Amino acid sequence: MAFLFYGKLSNISLLKTFSYLSNTELILNGKRSGILQFAALTNTGKRFYATEKKVYQRTKPHCNVGTIGHVDHGKTTLTAAITKVLSDQKLAEAKKYSDIDNAPEEKARGITINVAHVEYQTSARHYGHTDCPGHADYIKNMITGAAQMDGAILVVAATDGVMPQTREHLLLAKQIGVNHIVVFINKVDAADAEMVELVEMEIRELMSEMGFDGDNVPVISGSALYALDGKEPEVGSKAILKLLDEVDKYIPTPTRELDKPFLLPVEHVYSIPGRGTVVTGRLERGVVKKGADCEFVGYSKTFKSTISGIEMFHQILEEAQAGDQLGALVRGVKRDDVRRGMVMCKPGSVKSNDHVEAQVYILNKEEGGRSKPFTSFIQLQMFCRTWDCSCQVFIPDKEMVMPGEDSKLILKMIRPMVLEQGQRFTLRDGSLTLGTGVVTNVLPQLSEQERQTITEGKKAREKRMATQNTK
Amino acid sequence: MLLKMFARSLHIHSPCWGAEKSLLATLRKKTGYTFTNCKKALELHQNDLIQAEKWLNQQAQALGWSKATKLEGRQTTQGLVAVTVNNSDAAIVEVNCETDFVARNKTFQEMVEIAAQTCLHFAEQQPHATKPLTKISLDSTQLCRLQTTNGKTLSDQLALTIGSLGENAILRRAMCFKADKGIHLSVYAHPSGTQQNSVLLGRLGGLVAMRQKIDKEVDMENLGKNLCQHVVGMDPKKIGTSDDEPSPNSDDETCLIYQEYIVDDSITVNEVLDENGIEIVDFKRFECGENTSDGVPLSNVETCQ
Repeated sequence: MAFLFYGKLSNISLLKTFSYLSNTELILNGKRSGILQFAALTNTGKRFYATEKKVYQRTKPHCNVGTIGHVDHGKTTLTAAITKVLSDQKLAEAKKYSDIDNAPEEKARGITINVAHVEYQTSARHYGHTDCPGHADYIKNMITGAAQMDGAILVVAATDGVMPQTREHLLLAKQIGVNHIVVFINKVDAADAEMVELVEMEIRELMSEMGFDGDNVPVISGSALYALDGKEPEVGSKAILKLLDEVDKYIPTPTRELDKPFLLPVEHVYSIPGRGTVVTGRLERGVVKKGADCEFVGYSKTFKSTISGIEMFHQILEEAQAGDQLGALVRGVKRDDVRRGMVMCKPGSVKSNDHVEAQVYILNKEEGGRSKPFTSFIQLQMFCRTWDCSCQVFIPDKEMVMPGEDSKLILKMIRPMVLEQGQRFTLRDGSLTLGTGVVTNVLPQLSEQERQTITEGKKAREKRMATQNTK
Repeated sequence: MLLKMFARSLHIHSPCWGAEKSLLATLRKKTGYTFTNCKKALELHQNDLIQAEKWLNQQAQALGWSKATKLEGRQTTQGLVAVTVNNSDAAIVEVNCETDFVARNKTFQEMVEIAAQTCLHFAEQQPHATKPLTKISLDSTQLCRLQTTNGKTLSDQLALTIGSLGENAILRRAMCFKADKGIHLSVYAHPSGTQQNSVLLGRLGGLVAMRQKIDKEVDMENLGKNLCQHVVGMDPKKIGTSDDEPSPNSDDETCLIYQEYIVDDSITVNEVLDENGIEIVDFKRFECGENTSDGVPLSNVETCQ
């Protein structure tokens, strides 16, 4: 995810370089004016801005965390304090409160999300830090995968204690799949020891009630404000370091794509005379070696084979890693057996599914989506990896979904395809992109009878429902 | 009584607190007020729990107001729309808050419910006009002055909620429908997940008033609900008459009668109305956070008649 911060930074530097270039160009053209010249001169300081930029060193594992909590409990102050304390150790760039709070709206995959991203590192890990103002923003963040949160820091002020809406904050964490939460009791500078102790008890109790491991959740108390102002290190900077230490220990490092079982979505299949069948695609995860066993899954089919050769750019490769665009020669497979949309993977590592629960964001008209709401039983085309498939949508807890809303949807596909929890996909209706979503749960496979009901029309469905009800 | 209700709703249900209960813990648990205030109450009353609690309850209103004044001016873009109906009267209310977390919270939802019921009560008390349908639109200041059933004003009630949630909130607007005999009122809120007693809460809400033109057996409840869902979902700008031309692109249609019916997009709303001999008298749709600040006070905004 480090990419994201990168993208942002490089945009700025590009802009600056560009403005520098355009200024010099004007001068070279001989159209000098005092102001322009001045602008060019002031820019010379930033002349090598792009080259001065630090190169991201991938020496530490990366982890995404986020802050949740009441608006006035000091989430942003804490974020600013973290960067301040770490910048003293040369591990982060100090950000002022105002820099974080006024984060511009980001457009990730065309969806507007209100989010602030900050990066920093501890001695153990590199972090991406997310902060959103609202529930819907965190959900959109999860759906687009802008920065999937691996853990969260819940901020509670010692002066107020747990707020009524803290319950909703914890519910959100559950919903977006954050199971590891570290609690920071803020504003201890304005409270006494007894209050802090009581707030801690209250939080543990509430967390247990909400299904977290309340008794073992790390709780750190301190004052983000003191850390920011450099006052009383015991409750200030030291508390922040203690918090980061707990975050390092308590929130597990996510498995890297490289360490997962290999998977290659098939893009094309070729038949090479005298050699056999070659499948091409970008290796999505894992490492694949020559001679490895593989399995093809998709379109209700599953069969095994062996990879007898790997090539990248017409050069032989002993081992390909996630991200490589490669061609694999597979043994004993006919060209017609494999088609685009299947995946080649480590045997037994994935299954095809045709019935899933997903969290989906429906684009509004400005984002290029539909202008009207839709109801259950709408037929949509689902696009994922290299395949697409027609599916029927069922809305479990609403009567309709409006554009610009996120919603839980049940998707029934006309044929089983490789689909797993956490996978992202796009829903389209004709030439219109309706929304994008992430699979949250895999449901039991459809029976033959159920599959037939997907394609039936409205009249037939009503008739069937009516007979079912009278039975 | 109401205060106690509020306090109770704030409570975190606990299995046990252990033997060593401090006074502060007990007071906080019992009242749900912030730690700072509980502490202040104990200090003022020499650790007399009963006195402290009494003081806190008395102060709640003042504390709520001071918090409300402090938070005044902070942007409120989230919130809820509440709709409720009772035979010939119906009300739709919008209450705004700062984050959608609070909009999902029970304390806030209870406040919105009280606001909706107060508006409905207000509508019921108004004299019957000669017109088939009377519409009363209330702006923020008018709403604040309304009296709830327990004698408080709605603004007092709101201040209490602000005090406990620590977020700014405003009573934005409301509209009441008062119908004559023969007119059926329907309400709908989306998403329809939350319901407090007879009040529907959602991000969007709608009211529809309709009249049956010919004598025919029709499930008015169901049809009304569907038409109301249509209004909420499709956002028509006016009812439209036969003088209006249908828009060339059905997706841009803003005239209710020419829109595709949301429950069955193979027919238009007009066809549904004709089939059942129904006429739509009026409708109102609120979207939470929608921009109405075009300089015209709400009472002057013309709605289709």
